[in-house]
Amino acid sequence: MTPCLCLVQEGQIPDEVQASIRNALSALSERAFGHPAEFSWREVRSGSGFTAAKPSTASIVSLVAHKALSQSERVPLLEEVCDIWMRETNCSIDEVVASINDPAPVTGD
Amino acid sequence: MPLYTTNYVKGAISEEAKPKIAADITRIHCDVTGAPATFVHAFFFEESSELPLDGQSAFLFGRIRGGRTDAQKAQIVNEMQESIHTHTGLPLDDIKVATADTPAKWVMEGGDLLPEPGEEAAWLAAHEAKLAAAAKVSA
Repeated sequence: MTPCLCLVQEGQIPDEVQASIRNALSALSERAFGHPAEFSWREVRSGSGFTAAKPSTASIVSLVAHKALSQSERVPLLEEVCDIWMRETNCSIDEVVASINDPAPVTGD
Repeated sequence: MPLYTTNYVKGAISEEAKPKIAADITRIHCDVTGAPATFVHAFFFEESSELPLDGQSAFLFGRIRGGRTDAQKAQIVNEMQESIHTHTGLPLDDIKVATADTPAKWVMEGGDLLPEPGEEAAWLAAHEAKLAAAAKVSA
């Protein structure tokens, strides 16, 4: 499974849109990483989210890749995540922050 | 990015305190790093089971772009801890603040990869020009 954290502002994304986003991101994950996405979907309560110290309308979408990615692999996926988010939510490009992290290095013996 | 999430026990941070702490988080981050305020996100969660509290009443975790010095990170931690203390009355030793680095090139904001630390002004100028050009095309 591909960990996928979505932080959204309360009331910003209706349930049916959330379902559509999950489907689209999971399809991306399956195609790119070979696994569906496992979502952690968190709503930031009204009055609890700030961007530039003002009430936020930003969404944060963060996936963890199955392996370390080259930038030529990562950038098109980031663009696709942003496109999905804008298409499904009608937000502007300045309202979505996307990250695709490499997996944490394995430590220990 | 940066993304600052604060998890707190029920009632530890009032609704009135949140915008004040968020303003401090934004000011401190920008003063210390030179980053633009528009990059700074500060989100608060009450007793989220998915975020750490580490036995504290409030735990502020900042995911920041890599490349900051240890001195910058220490200043961020100390000043943000002080801010939460000031606006909540919680004892300093009941407030934890920590940061972790994320490479800028892993993050896209406004449709562009984030700039490396110190390259924000050029990034903002290019980003605003891009948005203006897009607006002109769609007009």
